[in-house]
Amino acid sequence: MRHDFRELKLERVTRRFAGAGGHAFAALDELTMTIRRGEFVALLGPSGCGKSTALNCIAGLLSLSGGAICLDELRIDTLPPEKRGFGMVFQNYALFPHMTVERNVGFGLRMRGVPAAEIAPRVARALALVQLGAQAAKLPGQLSGGQQQRVAIARAIVIEPPLVLMDEPLSNLDAKLRIETRAEIRRIHGELGRATIYVTHDQDEALSLADRIVVMRDGVVQQIGSPQQIYAQPANLHVARFMGYRNVLELDVAGVTGDRVELAGGPMRIVGTLRQALGGRRAAVAIRPEELVVGAPDIVANAVRGRVTGVEYGGRDSLIEVTLDGGVRLLVRSDARAARGDAIALSIPPERALVYPA
Amino acid sequence: MSAAALPGTGQPTKAASRPAFDRALLLAIPATLFMLLLFVYPFLYGLWLSFVPAKGGPLANYHTFFTTSDLWPTIGTTLKLALPATVINVGVALPIAFRMRVRGRWQRIVTTLLVVPITLGTVLIAEGMLNYFGPKGWLSHALQLVHFYDGPIRLTHNYWGVLISLVISGFPFAFLLILSYVTGIDPVLARAAATLGAGSFAQFRHIYLPLLAPGLAMCFCLAFVQAFSVFPSAVLVGAPAGPTRVISIAAYQAAFEQYDYSLASAIAMIMGFVQLVIVAAVLGLRGFFYRGPVAGGKG
Repeated sequence: MRHDFRELKLERVTRRFAGAGGHAFAALDELTMTIRRGEFVALLGPSGCGKSTALNCIAGLLSLSGGAICLDELRIDTLPPEKRGFGMVFQNYALFPHMTVERNVGFGLRMRGVPAAEIAPRVARALALVQLGAQAAKLPGQLSGGQQQRVAIARAIVIEPPLVLMDEPLSNLDAKLRIETRAEIRRIHGELGRATIYVTHDQDEALSLADRIVVMRDGVVQQIGSPQQIYAQPANLHVARFMGYRNVLELDVAGVTGDRVELAGGPMRIVGTLRQALGGRRAAVAIRPEELVVGAPDIVANAVRGRVTGVEYGGRDSLIEVTLDGGVRLLVRSDARAARGDAIALSIPPERALVYPA
Repeated sequence: MSAAALPGTGQPTKAASRPAFDRALLLAIPATLFMLLLFVYPFLYGLWLSFVPAKGGPLANYHTFFTTSDLWPTIGTTLKLALPATVINVGVALPIAFRMRVRGRWQRIVTTLLVVPITLGTVLIAEGMLNYFGPKGWLSHALQLVHFYDGPIRLTHNYWGVLISLVISGFPFAFLLILSYVTGIDPVLARAAATLGAGSFAQFRHIYLPLLAPGLAMCFCLAFVQAFSVFPSAVLVGAPAGPTRVISIAAYQAAFEQYDYSLASAIAMIMGFVQLVIVAAVLGLRGFFYRGPVAGGKG
């Protein structure tokens, strides 16, 4: 078992399961990437996309159907989990209910044969890091959900693993606690200075925590990139939809000039930015609700008109549902005041209307 | 989890100092009557009967039991059968149940196979044992055929016959009980232990065993009580006049051969007391172990 490393290499990592009727399906299909020391990587995708499968394969809890995992030059995918020495935080915490917080955190050290005199201070340091020093003598059942999750984090990091794996660690916490613990996870990652792989289905979590995000769907990687890239430049329509491009219109291609595409459908003409090579005469344009502009008559080319058919009040702004003259519905996030039935004009900045093959 | 631990802290004004009578409790009446009529009354009647012997003072029966040389040693004889049988049943069932903890084809097959002896009952098992393990049985013949052991093997009509019978009838019971305890433990705990460096034995030793301990104690008690009241197999495949003259045989003879119901009641009370002592000791040991939920956090 090693404590430090330069990089973790995933090479066409594949995991197949027996599906209905004996057909094997790939829950994880040829994941290839390199994770460097110090990096915080988020695996992001809807449930069933293979992100937890990927994490379990790295942890050694699932064997691979193909591919290889190497920690620097050492091939580790053939090792059992107890020989890999990665720290893992489980979604339901998986604290040992019969051990006190202190014994839970010290478990990994005891398994490694660390002398008792050394265990106590290391456990104390890990508990201090998650701010639970006062709870050391309690049983997990006596702690709140947030405290239990922090014990689970302390237990995973006390062994000073090269890699910390987290499987949706915040999904059982309430909204406020989730944001607090999120900051804490980021702080702990910084203090350890190793690498963290974090599985989540929550875009906000991935965007705020990660240095790099891996977006997955049906076991296949859709895009690997920085939060800024994933947010602003989704590689395909699936990523765009998942990252909150809630307005997706399928239109005819009227003309292509460089990376500008003109799309037409009924009375609508929209100029957008090409993100992926078009295959046919139809294309889909994806626009975030918050990037549509209410009013703004000066951009005549990309203006659409319609009526407000719904308003969802959201505090600082509202989510306005607009039905266009052609019957198409768009969602707009805006602080403009609007009421049902109002006539409304919207304009779309061409660089924020992303065009993908339909 | 934390919310469940603090019921009713929200509205102290509404909470009455004495809760209203819960009418659902009325549903317990038939079962309570049943218990009183068919268990508590006969037990108390037997207890009273044991103190009114045909001759002598109220403790004469107990005095007789502990001074007669073919009565008091039956306690030891029965313990010598029941304790090893229970230890074997629980001790062997535990590792097998542990191996079978993952639900699958094998778990189904083995579980089905093991339910069969439970449904057969001790008499049918004894019948089968006489044919199979007897001096002229298949086992003896087979061993002689391959010249593994040439003399007649004696596994019936002695101590071993009864012990084997107790294992055959008691093991499935212990196995199924332990299997249900083992499968009740969240496998994520073992996986968490594995990521922390625990191999499969360490996972068993540090995670499963402590969480199973209360269940094992319970299983031990039930299996022991079952084995201690051995009667049919002690007669059919044992040596009821000598090495397997268990305490229930002594009670039977007192009641139905000497027609001394009072002495028989006293023997039954002593039998119950011995069981109670063992059960209390085992459950007392349970106090040293963790007792609580066996899941690792919020499900």
